Amino acid sequence: MSRTTRVLTVDDSASMRALLNHALTSNGFAVSQADDGVSALEWLAVNEVDVVITDINMPRLDGFGLIEQVRGGTRHRDRPILVLTTESSDEKKARARAAGATGWIVKPFDTEKLVAAVRRVAH
Amino acid sequence: MSPEEIQQIFFAECEESLAAAESGLAACKAGTHDTDTVNAVFRAVHSIKGGAGAFGYAALQGYTHTFETLLSDVREGLVPIENKLVDLLLRALDTLSDHVEAAREGGDAPGDASLIAEMEASMAANAGAPIPAAAEDAQPEVADIAEGEEDFGLDLDALLDDLTADFSKPNEAPAAGEKRWKVHLRPHAGAMRNGSEPILMLREIAALGGECAHCEVSQIPQLDGFDPAQGYLGWTFSMPEKVEETAVREIFDFIGEDCALAFGEDQDIPPLKIAQSPPRPVAKPASAATAGEPSPAADSAVLSTPVERPQAPEAKADDKAAPAPAAAAASTPAPPAAGQSIRIDLFKLDRLIDLVGELVIAQAMLVQRLGMAGISATEELALLESLTRDIQESAMSIRAQPIGSVFSRVPRILRDLASSTGKHVKLEVSGESTELDKTVVERLGEPLTHLIRNAVDHGIESAEDRIAAGKDPEGTLTLSAEHRSGRIVISIGDDGGGINRERVLAKAIEKGIVSPDVQLSAEEIDNLIFAPGFSTAQTVSNISGRGVGMDVVRQNVKELGGRITIESAPGKGTNFILTLPLTLAISDGMIVNVGDQTLVVPLANVVESLRPGQDDVQGLGVSRDMLNVRGRFIPIIALRNALGWKSGAQAPEEGVLIVVDTESAGQAALLVDDICDQRQFVIKSLATNFRPVDGVAGATILGDGRVALILDVDGLVACALPGMERQAA
Repeated sequence: MSRTTRVLTVDDSASMRALLNHALTSNGFAVSQADDGVSALEWLAVNEVDVVITDINMPRLDGFGLIEQVRGGTRHRDRPILVLTTESSDEKKARARAAGATGWIVKPFDTEKLVAAVRRVAH
Repeated sequence: MSPEEIQQIFFAECEESLAAAESGLAACKAGTHDTDTVNAVFRAVHSIKGGAGAFGYAALQGYTHTFETLLSDVREGLVPIENKLVDLLLRALDTLSDHVEAAREGGDAPGDASLIAEMEASMAANAGAPIPAAAEDAQPEVADIAEGEEDFGLDLDALLDDLTADFSKPNEAPAAGEKRWKVHLRPHAGAMRNGSEPILMLREIAALGGECAHCEVSQIPQLDGFDPAQGYLGWTFSMPEKVEETAVREIFDFIGEDCALAFGEDQDIPPLKIAQSPPRPVAKPASAATAGEPSPAADSAVLSTPVERPQAPEAKADDKAAPAPAAAAASTPAPPAAGQSIRIDLFKLDRLIDLVGELVIAQAMLVQRLGMAGISATEELALLESLTRDIQESAMSIRAQPIGSVFSRVPRILRDLASSTGKHVKLEVSGESTELDKTVVERLGEPLTHLIRNAVDHGIESAEDRIAAGKDPEGTLTLSAEHRSGRIVISIGDDGGGINRERVLAKAIEKGIVSPDVQLSAEEIDNLIFAPGFSTAQTVSNISGRGVGMDVVRQNVKELGGRITIESAPGKGTNFILTLPLTLAISDGMIVNVGDQTLVVPLANVVESLRPGQDDVQGLGVSRDMLNVRGRFIPIIALRNALGWKSGAQAPEEGVLIVVDTESAGQAALLVDDICDQRQFVIKSLATNFRPVDGVAGATILGDGRVALILDVDGLVACALPGMERQAA
């Protein structure tokens, strides 16, 4: 990849953000962090990003709400968004897809799968 | 950041989550079970589970899984919130807290089998089919993770190389005559609506060794009907035989039904599907742009794309797939999250507070210097002073934490006590949002826990005794915290039998703490329970007994610069009142002069100050004077002598006496020349800048730039009055 892929991670858990940050930065991604949907939107309003990774359960604005807002906006509506989910059931996948997610990462993730998922969707 | 550090964050987070769940469940117990409350509890447990999985704490993860599943049922309204359920959830939370502790300390996980069974029963009873042992469910998943954690140290570069190798080049050039199989695909419009990019998938197929056999272009419409978001193209790839179908399906896992796939020689590229796939909501025809032409979405998309803004609300209305809570959350202006915070290295923060302390001193010095030069009361100086004070308060408030984080542990303690003593106690809490210094909050937990245990164990009577006394069989524990004149006052009250003074006195005499013929006031008797080695319980219970009781509590509070007092009324109950400073970095002190030296006496020690009359002082032996304070005699210590100085007041009538309270030697009166001020001061450690000095707690810089020593009243008095360990002994 010629240019560093920029990833925004959105999770209300600081340890989860730190894990994602550790896994992604050590694989050459540029990582920014937001702690819920609202702060993610605030960040996205003034920053560029290649891939968004978001948790579902968050205070203020949850992951589905965030996706909805991003897809309904203009600037980032084509951005790939991966959701972090604890279950890999088809129902959950369908729900994520219906909400507008590009893909998902099953928690607990391993670095390899996380990186593969990000690479898979990064335009 | 190292994995260990991330783990530390996780455990800090667990504490927050546990506290959040505890207060959520407390609200449920009190009858508040709206969506937000239940959601907060769910989120707390969910977050612990997520981290437990990530860090490989199998037992914790398995347990939280069951807990979360039950909470999920509650959240969905499948399980009604009844008192019994809330009690179960509270017990489950206690065990969760034990689990977290076990994970942190590396100890054995607590026994949770019966609780898990109970939780599952609660789900099953309402949801119909019994749910298979969830803990076991989680087990295999967990095993993976445990390995995953070890993988932390793996050579990530090597992993990366493997990955890129996979992506960038076909494994091998297809050998001539090699058997190949076909896959046909057509990405539908939705593929791009979800932020996917079909070209990436084609590249992945190519990376597997796939070769494009056919690209179907016949569906591409005339330019005026062209919608760039539609999937007009379809492909057929021929794949090497050794590539499995699942590997190809895997590539399309994310995109799901938005890309039609067909496998095999006999299949063809799936048909174009425009009608079924709704266009991107924002690409709806703008009414003004294409007025009167109800054309299919595909026709108008190109025209309408530049006019997007007005459609945003429509997008929301259209997208019924989005869950309702999310929509609600999105539409209401979000209130600031309760626990929203950034994490700062404590060292940096303390550095800031140190600097602010210096600023306060510098400002005071400036005012004094200008005052000497005849410049005072200028507007700018007043402004500077108020700004300095504001900065100081703001800096202090960064370190401040609500005392609620300590109070929130109390219900747990009470539940534990209820099961071990059989005494059920109601809890009334007020002022939990009162803030005080982080260090104080952290170090308050232990004495507070002890006081609460003490109140339940010794204070509150058994249900039978209470009924006999005409009281509610259930005791009440009252916790309150408030700011009062620059200090925090915390009170722990029970409505029990009060302190049994006869028994306390008898015990104290028996233990040799006081002599049998001593006359003590009620207050003094109450205070005997703080004496080292005192315990009034008939038998030493494992709850508040252990012999290291209240004296340790008093010592802890003292170390925090605070004081503890007792108010007890027989038959009505006992109130322990803790008075604590807002912060440890800044204290209140009395500035006194002795000879040509200026000293600071911490206000925490000061009881009163007075100018003695002739009759108030009586000699004892050759070298000791005693001060008569309302009929009680306390020793006078001339600071001049105690400190070995050559100037300063020698006789009590030459100066002022400050009556101080000490830990080890009771009260004493310090003789100083005069008291010149009472103000806040910033403590500078002598130990780090010079060396520890007996009788001196530290130093501070006065407004005029001079250094003043802060007295360690306890140490000084103990040193000056050898053999005076508790005056009655």
